[in-house]
Amino acid sequence: MGGAGAIQVPATSLLALAAILFCIGLYGALTRRNLIIVLVSIELMLNAANINLVTFSRLGASPGLHGQVFALFTITVAAAEIAVGLALLLAAFRTRRSTHVEDMDQHKW
Amino acid sequence: MAAHAWLVPLLPLVAYVFLLVLGRRAPEWLVAGVSTALTFISFLLSLGVFRDAGQPATYTFPWLHVGSYTLEAGIQVTRLNALMLVVVSAVSTLVLLFSKGYMHGDERFAVFYQYLNLFVFSMLALVIAPNLLQLYIFWEMVGLCSYLLVGFWFFKPEAALAAKKSFIVTRIGDAGLFAGIIMLFLASGSFDVTTVLQAAANHQLHLGWISNDGLLVLTAILVFVGAVGKSAQFPLHVWLPDAMEGPTPVSALIHAATMVAAGVYLVARMYPLFAASQAALTTVAWIGGFTALLAALIALTQRDIKRVIAYSTISQLGYMMLGLGVGAYAAGVFHLFTHAFFKALLFLAAGSLIHALGTQDLFEMGGLRRKMPVTFWTFLAGALSLSGIFPFAGFWSKDDILAGALRHGHPALYAIGLVTAFCTAYYIFRAFFLAFAGPARDAEKHARAHEGGWVMTVPLVILGILATIAGFFNSPLNGYGLGKFLTPDLSLYQTGLGGYMAPERADVTVMLISVLVGLAGIALAAALYARPAAVDRIASEGKAEDIGPLYRLSYRKFYFDEIYYAVVVAPGKFIAAVVDGFDRYVVDGLVHLVRRIVYLAGLCLKYTQTGQVQAYGTVAAVALVVIIAIAMIRAGGVF
Amino acid sequence: MQILWTPEMIAFFLISLAILACAVMLLSFQKVIYMALAIGGVFIGCAALYILLGAEFVGISQVLIYAGAITILLMFAIMLTNHEAVEPEARWTVRRVFSALGCLALAAVLWFVIRSVQWPQGDAATDINQGHPNAVAIGLMLFKTYTIPFELVSLLLIVALVGAVILARPPKEGE
Repeated sequence: MGGAGAIQVPATSLLALAAILFCIGLYGALTRRNLIIVLVSIELMLNAANINLVTFSRLGASPGLHGQVFALFTITVAAAEIAVGLALLLAAFRTRRSTHVEDMDQHKW
Repeated sequence: MAAHAWLVPLLPLVAYVFLLVLGRRAPEWLVAGVSTALTFISFLLSLGVFRDAGQPATYTFPWLHVGSYTLEAGIQVTRLNALMLVVVSAVSTLVLLFSKGYMHGDERFAVFYQYLNLFVFSMLALVIAPNLLQLYIFWEMVGLCSYLLVGFWFFKPEAALAAKKSFIVTRIGDAGLFAGIIMLFLASGSFDVTTVLQAAANHQLHLGWISNDGLLVLTAILVFVGAVGKSAQFPLHVWLPDAMEGPTPVSALIHAATMVAAGVYLVARMYPLFAASQAALTTVAWIGGFTALLAALIALTQRDIKRVIAYSTISQLGYMMLGLGVGAYAAGVFHLFTHAFFKALLFLAAGSLIHALGTQDLFEMGGLRRKMPVTFWTFLAGALSLSGIFPFAGFWSKDDILAGALRHGHPALYAIGLVTAFCTAYYIFRAFFLAFAGPARDAEKHARAHEGGWVMTVPLVILGILATIAGFFNSPLNGYGLGKFLTPDLSLYQTGLGGYMAPERADVTVMLISVLVGLAGIALAAALYARPAAVDRIASEGKAEDIGPLYRLSYRKFYFDEIYYAVVVAPGKFIAAVVDGFDRYVVDGLVHLVRRIVYLAGLCLKYTQTGQVQAYGTVAAVALVVIIAIAMIRAGGVF
Repeated sequence: MQILWTPEMIAFFLISLAILACAVMLLSFQKVIYMALAIGGVFIGCAALYILLGAEFVGISQVLIYAGAITILLMFAIMLTNHEAVEPEARWTVRRVFSALGCLALAAVLWFVIRSVQWPQGDAATDINQGHPNAVAIGLMLFKTYTIPFELVSLLLIVALVGAVILARPPKEGE
């Protein structure tokens, strides 16, 4: 089992991967026009966080299962989030016939 | 029974809350029924309290702890308080019943009863308050109820103005009372009436900056100022006639029988304080006497029936003050007692007339004797009582006061009282003859006139009987029973007035003179207004022709309103205009400046609100990076 | 830093490469539907990473929930809206430049942080599963230590489910 042996991958590399993934997600969330892709980018950011959680569960100061359990919770919450987000998207699409973020500007001055 | 006296004010409060819950759409019979029934139970309870009244019984509980002083709330039943409970609850019950007929069909009928119940509660609670602060609270509450009820028809501008006037003018007196209460507290260390009075009677009031005797006079006068405001004595009498804009049952209850008598009650309650300083007593007596005469002179020429009775009330309250001031304590309170009945009766009878005719102008009435027999006879009883004709109630009490003034060495006040008595008999019978005798001066209104239902006639009859017989409670026939009942209240204190609170025997000469004077007044009124030959003269007076300067002086109420307007109101308005200008152009200018700056800032900044979520996100992300970078640099060791 | 070319390390590099490639593709595709496919790659790559790190249960869950459910859900959403949608040609507006600079700066900052911290290493030999298979160990922990959060999360899921249904339902006449 993987849990038993020592892992040779340095934590730094994993954290760096997560950081890059997070930044890509952030960039996508800030620049994509399509609301679906914005949601997807947010999922990317959540995944980056998850990688960190699982990494620390294994390579942190006190290894344990807490990180993995927390990652599971994150996945659950992400599922809920995407469900509600897509429902909102559908409702918005029905009234505006568009999924573009730029069109959702009722709060403009 | 005295321990249960708290129930007496509680029941009208229950009625008030009940009506409040019912709302203003409640059916009239329910509203009037509940109010009248509960107040009637209050009346029965207060009869029980009265029967058992003896030594002052105080029941209090600690209410507020302020510093080291514990303020107590509760009730105190003295003989005077018990008597007042009976008077107030009796008149209240009858007026509540009468209002059912008078206010029938008014769309705020339930609200009217709410206010009335609140008033009855406040008045009863005022009467049994054991300390001055509690007394003051309810003192203000009755003032508030008076305001609400005078302005009950607030859509009439006169009513709204009158309500405002009555509230503001009585406030002047209240300020004096409050100052007096504070000084008494500072000087005696307590609000408790018994403690304060004991200290006053023993000359133990102390304040650093004033001599003890001066302090007694000053506090007594300040308390008296409160009484002057509430009881509409000169120079604060101007509000009461205007308060007649309220519904007539209100005038009967508040502005004749109970609230205005609260001033007299206050002086009676604090009597040992007044008795401790001759100067204060003299002031009370002379203010009372002067007011009595002044109001009677004004009442001579008024053409509004309610105003006639209102000035009569002021005049009679002046009598009471005169009685208290000359040292005839029992006589003053006794007059309060009888006056409550016959004046409520006169007002209700006037209300019956107004209800039937739809006018308050005496010169539009006339010839109603056959049309409204119950009103006729009861009004007659009230008028005879007011005129002080044997054996009606007013005779005994008024005569007591006059005899007291003479006996205690105030012949001048006695003379004033006699003149007032003459005027009183004249003006009330002038009103009586104008309303009931002679031909109908307004045929159309006369044709419509009719007696009210039983809810209106029953209170009239009961009050008529009371106005006839109430005098016997303190007549020589039962050995001045009321006086003997009341005076033990005072013998608790070293008043120095002890023996002659109540007379020992009747003075037949004085009585005879009073009755003769009263009869003379009636005769003059009859000669001027009841003879068939007087019709033309009445018609010309009704059209306000051929009026001499003295008549005009009286008719214009000695120009008090005009003088007060010029001296008090106009400067006040001037100051208000200056302050208003300052507020409008300086304060508001600053406010507008600030508003404009904020508005401009908002105008510029609003363009940042593009509605684009991602733009906001970008700003947040950049800010996040900056914050993390700053944190890193501060932590050090990163680069 | 010396890199030890162990099999695990090689696997890690390959997986990372795949994840980053998918992520970049996700942002560079023009058609929305391709983007949704690319995100599937990212999810699966992450799952592989978890398994590499010994978190089999999380990895499997990742595949089931993310790669399975969420990706399919996204597809549905795209199909229900305008599935022909094409992401317009990227133009370098001020906002876009700031976004890019911000993200790059964030990456740089994070990189510096990661570099500069001496990550404390726990005892790598500890058996975090305490003798059980990973799934059993996680189950024990969920139902013992994390019972209340677990229940709360289930509540959250119900609420999200009902909320999503109500939101996505077409409005009735007159509403």
